[in-house]
Amino acid sequence: MSRKTERLVNLTIALLATKRYITKSEIFRTVDGYEGTAESKERMFERDKDDLRNLGIEIEVGSFDPLFEDEAGYRIKPDRYQFQLGEVTSQEISLLSLAAEAWRGAALDGSALTALRKLHAIGIESDIESVPDLAPHANIRDKNLQIAIGAITSRQKITFKYLSEELAEQDRKIAPYAVTSRFGHWYLYGMDLEKLGIRSFRIDRISGDISPEGKTGSFEVENNFDLASLSSNVDEVSKAVIYLRAGRAIALRSRSVSSSTKSDVAGWDKVELSFRDKERFIEELLWYGDDAIVISPKDVRDEIVKRLELGVKRYG
Amino acid sequence: MAKQATSPIAKTARLLDLVPFIATHQGIAIKDLAREFAVTTEELLDDLNTLWMCGLPGYTPLELIDLYFESGYVSIRNAEILQKVRLLTKEELVVIAIGLDFLKETLSKDREDLSLAIGSLQGKIKSLIGDIAQVTPTVDSSHRAIILRSLKERRNLEIEYHSLIRDQITTRAITPLELGEDRGVEVLMAYCRTAKGFRTFRLDNVKKADLLDSSEVISNSKKESEELFRAKCRVDARLRTTFERFRLDTDIATSPGLSSSKGITVEVTSFSQDWLVRNFMSTLANTEITEPAELAKTVGAKAQATLELYKNPHFSS
Repeated sequence: MSRKTERLVNLTIALLATKRYITKSEIFRTVDGYEGTAESKERMFERDKDDLRNLGIEIEVGSFDPLFEDEAGYRIKPDRYQFQLGEVTSQEISLLSLAAEAWRGAALDGSALTALRKLHAIGIESDIESVPDLAPHANIRDKNLQIAIGAITSRQKITFKYLSEELAEQDRKIAPYAVTSRFGHWYLYGMDLEKLGIRSFRIDRISGDISPEGKTGSFEVENNFDLASLSSNVDEVSKAVIYLRAGRAIALRSRSVSSSTKSDVAGWDKVELSFRDKERFIEELLWYGDDAIVISPKDVRDEIVKRLELGVKRYG
Repeated sequence: MAKQATSPIAKTARLLDLVPFIATHQGIAIKDLAREFAVTTEELLDDLNTLWMCGLPGYTPLELIDLYFESGYVSIRNAEILQKVRLLTKEELVVIAIGLDFLKETLSKDREDLSLAIGSLQGKIKSLIGDIAQVTPTVDSSHRAIILRSLKERRNLEIEYHSLIRDQITTRAITPLELGEDRGVEVLMAYCRTAKGFRTFRLDNVKKADLLDSSEVISNSKKESEELFRAKCRVDARLRTTFERFRLDTDIATSPGLSSSKGITVEVTSFSQDWLVRNFMSTLANTEITEPAELAKTVGAKAQATLELYKNPHFSS
């Protein structure tokens, strides 16, 4: 039935229209839909407040009237109710809409749809001509992303099971801070409440659903948390010198930091590039087989030779 | 988009959004309004009927919201209190912030104006929710837009494609069939006119895409079956990374019967023998091919050839 909806809309209108705080008894007397015993009205009102808060509508509690010292008053401040990005141009509407469109068919498409409605309700036609033909797309359907973002914005702690390198499920409890996406993977950052440090988790390695724990607003983000520097400097950078067969190992070549690729070996280029994770770098070099020969660092070269010898012994 | 739940809360949200929307689109067709709000006409009419009962305390005709219906079109009056567009929720702001990141990263250099406009919007959003999301797309949004257009207009495409398996960049004329997803990677199924066969292209490896004037009709239903290569191997370390590399479902590692003290034996498959060889080269330290023998031999020969180069004085350290 739509009685509840009707009451919620009427409550919103009453609280928005009032210039002063109005008391609960005034609300029960004047707002349509509050019926039953005093106790049931009370319960109804508490639930309604929560429901409106979940819609992002903040009800302010206060009291200015000395006569009603012990009775709290309520109101919704219009500037906390209305669209908060201020005046927007038609070009900005196009950009904002296009950004929301990126979630069509992806996780969070519900929020994208409601955001689009609000943007359209502003009544400014988007200026499609002013924006090039772009089709952004958030390629993720994992509902854990939505749970994580909900917990981040409401400052709620979460627990989940995380797959270790040995494929064992480990219990984690974190205060979630942020999400990022790099190289096609989505990551969750947060304060690990057991390890007491900032950790990152690949969202597709979370086994099962993330569970929110405890109250919202139950933690503060550490002051020194800096998403931009965290997501770019996970490990220290090392330099490597590599010979690449001319025209081969395109992806590696594109990461070269040296200005010249000239080498003393005919048919081969010599490049310098940087890497972070040594194990991953070794596996990447081996992918190219006899098209990429690493000269330095020595430990990388030695490890590769060792693995090749193992391969020859095993399969040769 | 997902169908909206019709809980009283979702319905309330919709009503609160309907008011400003109708106010800026006075005389809108009921049909269009239903489409905008992703509901059926019946649901929308029910919404409007509810709205009619709402207004300021007192609830006399003077205080109630007024809706005018005229042969399938609707207008609204006396709804000033709710006429402001509602604020964006935090989740909606995050959704937009991430979408803006996607856009910003694929703008061409000559659109500094847009880059600035996006930056200023992102600044506003960050001041409201903090710095809680940062994304770098792997697929160029302009390439995706061209692919979508080619599918819609049924036109052929010319793409520059980087095949990681072949370690080659080639230019191909293709007839796109459909966009899809393969284990988290966006792919385009297409008929490749250059290779004369059906191919799957990873969008993140498309380096360039241009619409061609030609078009072809290809039946997508009978995709010629490509040969699937299978191999069995034992994985004894770096299980998660290796499972991800071979695109294996991690569930099978935890299911009983597969695991032994000497690692886990799994079957890996691919349409490309070359892909298998390269992956087994990469994982020499922690996988061992048990069958087929020819594949093991190919990997062994590759390892031998590479080792010889390492022993060559030209490449000594």
